Amino acid sequence: MSVESLKSQLPDYAKDLKLNLGSLAAEPSLNTQQRAGVFIASAIASRNPDVTRAIVAEFAPQLSPEALNAAKAAAAIMGMNNVYYRFTHLVGGDYPTLPARLRMNVMLRPGVEKVDFELWSLAVSAVNGCGMCMESHEKVVRQAGLTQEQVQAAVRIAAVVHAVAVTLEAEASLAAPGIAA
Amino acid sequence: MLTVGDKFPSFKLQAVKAGNDGLDLKTAFTEISNESDAGKWKIVFFWPKDFTFVCPTEIVAFGKLAGDFADRDAVVYGASIDGEFVHLNWRLHHNDLHDLPIAMLADHKRELSEALGILDKNEGVALRATFVVDPDGIIRFASVNDLNVGRNPAEVLRVLDALQSDELCPCNWQKGEEFLRPAA
Repeated sequence: MSVESLKSQLPDYAKDLKLNLGSLAAEPSLNTQQRAGVFIASAIASRNPDVTRAIVAEFAPQLSPEALNAAKAAAAIMGMNNVYYRFTHLVGGDYPTLPARLRMNVMLRPGVEKVDFELWSLAVSAVNGCGMCMESHEKVVRQAGLTQEQVQAAVRIAAVVHAVAVTLEAEASLAAPGIAA
Repeated sequence: MLTVGDKFPSFKLQAVKAGNDGLDLKTAFTEISNESDAGKWKIVFFWPKDFTFVCPTEIVAFGKLAGDFADRDAVVYGASIDGEFVHLNWRLHHNDLHDLPIAMLADHKRELSEALGILDKNEGVALRATFVVDPDGIIRFASVNDLNVGRNPAEVLRVLDALQSDELCPCNWQKGEEFLRPAA
């Protein structure tokens, strides 16, 4: 499984995704670790087993074991934080000021450059759809020196990986035997 | 008595090791100081005297939670003003303490108890004091019970959880805040 195999599974109607996926796999504005981590964290956040397997197979060899772990950790912890903070941001009232009483200690020592972990968290937030989370993580990575172009690249990757997952999920459902179309 | 925000005093004490090592005279003893287990949270709890009744119950209860504390990057030390040989004997002679996964510190000269301010004024032994110390050596929780009142280690675990549950995610950023809270 690899990015090539994902591309070959994409149907004709999703040709745009296929081409975007191919070009973003070599997106030059991010360094290797940043790019690989964004792909892996976004794939996990997009929740399709085939996509996750293929993306991890392709990009994990480009990462140290610690960085791979950190990319997975970003998807894991943001799976919690995006839901929780989206709630507090949307509902408002006193909720944003109540202590969350949730452990998120991995963010303190992610085992990788903090800015890269934040960038991966931003990509996951884009997939999970927490507006204020995106806003605040964007602020942090920009303050840490990443450019607008680099942030945009991460979100472009997240967007395409998500769309590929949606599409392959649909194709797999339709191909499943025994279900009346 | 020292309290939240104070630096936990420096110490260097003989101790009986946790687990099986602490049952054999050849391997039982070690030295534990404020620099041991660097980078970890420390739970330090005192009892008045070895070989009394309330003590083993709560020591065993702390022992049962040792794994939960370890999961939270915390190490647990038990301590009294008894010497290390007394600790060893107590470990050997009390069934419930046989498998204790916690090291016992021997504050025989009472220097640590004195520095912490937890010596009973009449008895001269340590009160049932409990401290949670962060990786920087700062006391983040302190409690003390009268000599005969046992403790609830699950409550200490709850406190540790709360202390460690800082909101470290920028998602916690609120509009209008100019800068993010520093990651503590």
